[in-house]
Amino acid sequence: MQPLYLEDWRGWLPSERGHTVPRQRQIDARPGTSLPPMLRRRLDEPGRAVCDLLAALDPEARHPLIHASRHGDTRHTLAMLEELIAGAPLSPTRFSMSVHNAVLGVHSIARQHHRPLQALGACGQEFEALMTEAAGYLAEGHSAVVVVFAEGPLPEAYADHATHPGHPCAVGLRLARSGETRLSLDATQSTAAPTPATVIDWLAGRTPLLARRWRLEAV
Amino acid sequence: MHETQQLSLDLKRLIIETLELEDITPEDIEEQAPLFGEGLGLDSIDALELGLALQKRYGIKLDAESEETRRHFASLAALQSLVEARRVA
Repeated sequence: MQPLYLEDWRGWLPSERGHTVPRQRQIDARPGTSLPPMLRRRLDEPGRAVCDLLAALDPEARHPLIHASRHGDTRHTLAMLEELIAGAPLSPTRFSMSVHNAVLGVHSIARQHHRPLQALGACGQEFEALMTEAAGYLAEGHSAVVVVFAEGPLPEAYADHATHPGHPCAVGLRLARSGETRLSLDATQSTAAPTPATVIDWLAGRTPLLARRWRLEAV
Repeated sequence: MHETQQLSLDLKRLIIETLELEDITPEDIEEQAPLFGEGLGLDSIDALELGLALQKRYGIKLDAESEETRRHFASLAALQSLVEARRVA
């Protein structure tokens, strides 16, 4: 696989239960500063945080962007399902925002971003999928790629049925073809299913291994 | 408060709440200014959302494709005339 180097990263943890984001890696405590008000209103707090992470890591809108979320915006999806059951008409706004790439869409309008955009979900393998896709863009000749992994709040109804970090969290990485910090992969180890919060712990140096097989290596 | 003024304020609040205009107060919405494009700056999704809200609140059904609907949505004053003429709730 194309080698991956970490250039920079940012994290967002509004309720820091056991996890923290180092100060220099934080975004604004009230997410959404990267968006004009008329676009900001369309996103909830996790969506706004994703846009701020992307803006911090790709301020000139030069790089391909990939956004991964295992569950997406389940709160609004569930609310729409409940409305359908009740026979009530769906909100056109909510319906239009109920696609996995909605957050990237808002970000690209706000920042006039015209490079490739990709949204993905991978049943717990989001980090692996992000690395694979990022390696693909770098191999194609892009100098860097920004990836964001995010989870919003999980509605109570899903609590016993879903693997979820238990609180909203998001992390963004800018990956490049060369640099001083390499992401080294031990492909002989099968992967776990990291959440954005565990990725933050790994990037902050609190755990040496992510998903049993990824390590940060000074070059 | 005069009935017309009350309806004007109700409609402004309806617009703000329905369209989640977090940074806008009723005083910011001018009676004659365009609601869409320039002016308040609403978009086509807002038009659909507002149509649904009028249906729920006042029982007014509009055809999303018609030119007449476009006129009703031109400004707050136009919207108010529509509600005064066609409200059933």
